[in-house]
Amino acid sequence: MKLSPLMRDRMTVFAMLFPTFLVLVGFYLYPTLYNLELSFTDITLLKLRQGGDWVGLANYWEFLTSSSSFHIAFNTIFWLTAVSVTIRMILGLGFALLLNSNVLRNMRMTTIARLILLVPWATPPVVAVIAWRWLFEPTNGPLNRWLLNFGLIDDPIAFTADLATVWPSIVTIVVWNTTPLIGVSLLASLQTVPGELYEAGEIDGANRFQMFRFVTLPYLMPTISVLTLMSVIWTFNNFVYVWLTTGAGPGTYTNVLATEVYLKAFVDLRIGYSAAIGVTMAIVMGVFGALYFRFFGLSDMQDKVG
Amino acid sequence: MKRTTLKALTLSTALAGLMAVSATAETNITFRFNDSEREEMRAALDEFEAANPDIKVELETISWKDSRDQFLRESAVGQGPDVVHIAFVWTQEMAEAQAVLPIEELQEYGALPNGFDDFIATDLTAYEGQHWGLPWSADTWAMVMRTDVLEEAGVAAPTTWDELLAASRTIKETTGKTGFAFPAAHQVWFPVNYYLWSNGAEFISADGNGGYDIGVSQDQLAAAMGYFKTYIDEGLAPKSILSIDQPHDPALMQALLDGDQAFAAMPTNTYRQLLGAYEETNPGQPLPFQSTVMMAGDSAPLTHLGGRTLVVNSNTDEPEAAWKLVQFLASAPLFEKYYTNQFPAQKTLLSQIEYRDEEMGFAKQLADHTRTWGAYAESGVGVGPLWNVTSRAFGTALSGQTSLDQAAADLLGEINRMLDQ
Repeated sequence: MKLSPLMRDRMTVFAMLFPTFLVLVGFYLYPTLYNLELSFTDITLLKLRQGGDWVGLANYWEFLTSSSSFHIAFNTIFWLTAVSVTIRMILGLGFALLLNSNVLRNMRMTTIARLILLVPWATPPVVAVIAWRWLFEPTNGPLNRWLLNFGLIDDPIAFTADLATVWPSIVTIVVWNTTPLIGVSLLASLQTVPGELYEAGEIDGANRFQMFRFVTLPYLMPTISVLTLMSVIWTFNNFVYVWLTTGAGPGTYTNVLATEVYLKAFVDLRIGYSAAIGVTMAIVMGVFGALYFRFFGLSDMQDKVG
Repeated sequence: MKRTTLKALTLSTALAGLMAVSATAETNITFRFNDSEREEMRAALDEFEAANPDIKVELETISWKDSRDQFLRESAVGQGPDVVHIAFVWTQEMAEAQAVLPIEELQEYGALPNGFDDFIATDLTAYEGQHWGLPWSADTWAMVMRTDVLEEAGVAAPTTWDELLAASRTIKETTGKTGFAFPAAHQVWFPVNYYLWSNGAEFISADGNGGYDIGVSQDQLAAAMGYFKTYIDEGLAPKSILSIDQPHDPALMQALLDGDQAFAAMPTNTYRQLLGAYEETNPGQPLPFQSTVMMAGDSAPLTHLGGRTLVVNSNTDEPEAAWKLVQFLASAPLFEKYYTNQFPAQKTLLSQIEYRDEEMGFAKQLADHTRTWGAYAESGVGVGPLWNVTSRAFGTALSGQTSLDQAAADLLGEINRMLDQ
């Protein structure tokens, strides 16, 4: 049987995509389904060889009704995600505008400023946390020494142990380490804004703010939307910053969903329960992603910039 | 000429073959050791390899914090080092997870010089009628005091928890220094238990009918939390202790070395490291440290009998070589030459130890004032999980995240849940 050209094309596409499909099934779909299966069992780290017993939705019910769930969800959504993503988007935009401005260009500082901006991004999160923990250190940390020397405080602040300062400290580390990515991405977008639009704005008598509001921002919106979505998902699931900075403490004050997954799986050894939290996190992010695209759909973004 | 060349070639080929055979006959095993004496342990292993030229030992280290989970994960998939260094209290968990070989089976490869009964705390290694690890080193915690700071503040060495608090207040008032500071994060577990035990309470106790029950009331627990919180609330200890996990944290050690802190509670090896560090920075100077037994409450002071166990991975392909290594590691010369910061977990060797004056508190503590975790392990709850929920609950109370009553009630709820399971 002779295949039509369209059929041949489709077969070629299928053949070319098949290896990728296999990789996705092996490395993504299978672990996801296995994790889902674990979440319905009471398997523990001590019973890995024997396997766990089926408990249905008991793990989900226990997690969703536990007294600490609200606290953990609030920490994850508000402190870790909302606050840190908002700050980094605003700062990232600010850095991008500064790096694209004539001020730095006239001072011949553009290249060095871009390099400086990239340093935090090039620093691995583990190193960033260790460095900041040293800066925050109460007895010998430089930050406390400076604050004491300038007379701004009378006693050293235990930045990562005091309830008043522990979240701002974590957010500072996250923002420092991740803002450059936002800045550089927005800078790339800024450089694609056609100069004629600004010229037209000038002719229409637009001031600087109006230029930014009606020319620059709409052009950046697709990038901002995608970066926000990526940042939210990445931050919501992030484990490293909180765990390495505070170990979810003091007490459980900075416990977030990702650290709760770790604590339940590898400290309390409850793999099944931990898997249920992981599945819940994936569902939350899936719903968020769907809603996000519904309200800030990519096609709409493209329409906005014509 | 050609024949000579041929002979030489044949000889060299045969030699190479022999070398290859001898290389493949070599047994390679891995020993996971998590203490800080890595260099000393490598030297000890070199001695072992010299005595057993057919065995090569690779030394690997991971942090204590991760070692239990890492080994459980590895053993479940047929991996992991051949010989592993674990805490006493993990042995039963490892046996339950079928991660280790029983000592009874391993002794078929060679008997222990003084028999298994010479080892202490063997009850902690028992599970379903067999023993699953060899107690290696024994330790406990005791109090350490900086004598010059006590003198400066005009304070006598306290013997009870109340006296310790009073002395800390006096030291703060008269010298501005810290009295008692402790790791208030993960290892707050230890002082908390000592406080409860010396006041007639414990987290889990046997109910006398073969079952187990909670052995502390909510009020007692809240009072214990309140006691330790006082140090932070009154500024007697820096707030930063809330994020300190270990008694050997540099902040605590440095304060003791600098004479900025008067009291600490710590295990034997940490104390020996502290003395060593002081001697190194102050050569020839008299040591301003003294160790004493732990504080007493309504009843006598008590600390835990802890230590390390050596276990052989059930996945090992070389059980005989692994057992040979375990026997070597438990021998007297190892503790005399290499693993000198630790006490051996053997009655014969313990009786031969000559303590320094500064260590007499530890000697007395170990001899007269220790207990095992007992019901914590026997109840099936396990020391590890109990430790984790306790540290977290005390963290929430000490930091002010929740009220003392709430934290105590939450902790009791968690322990009840674990007992039910």
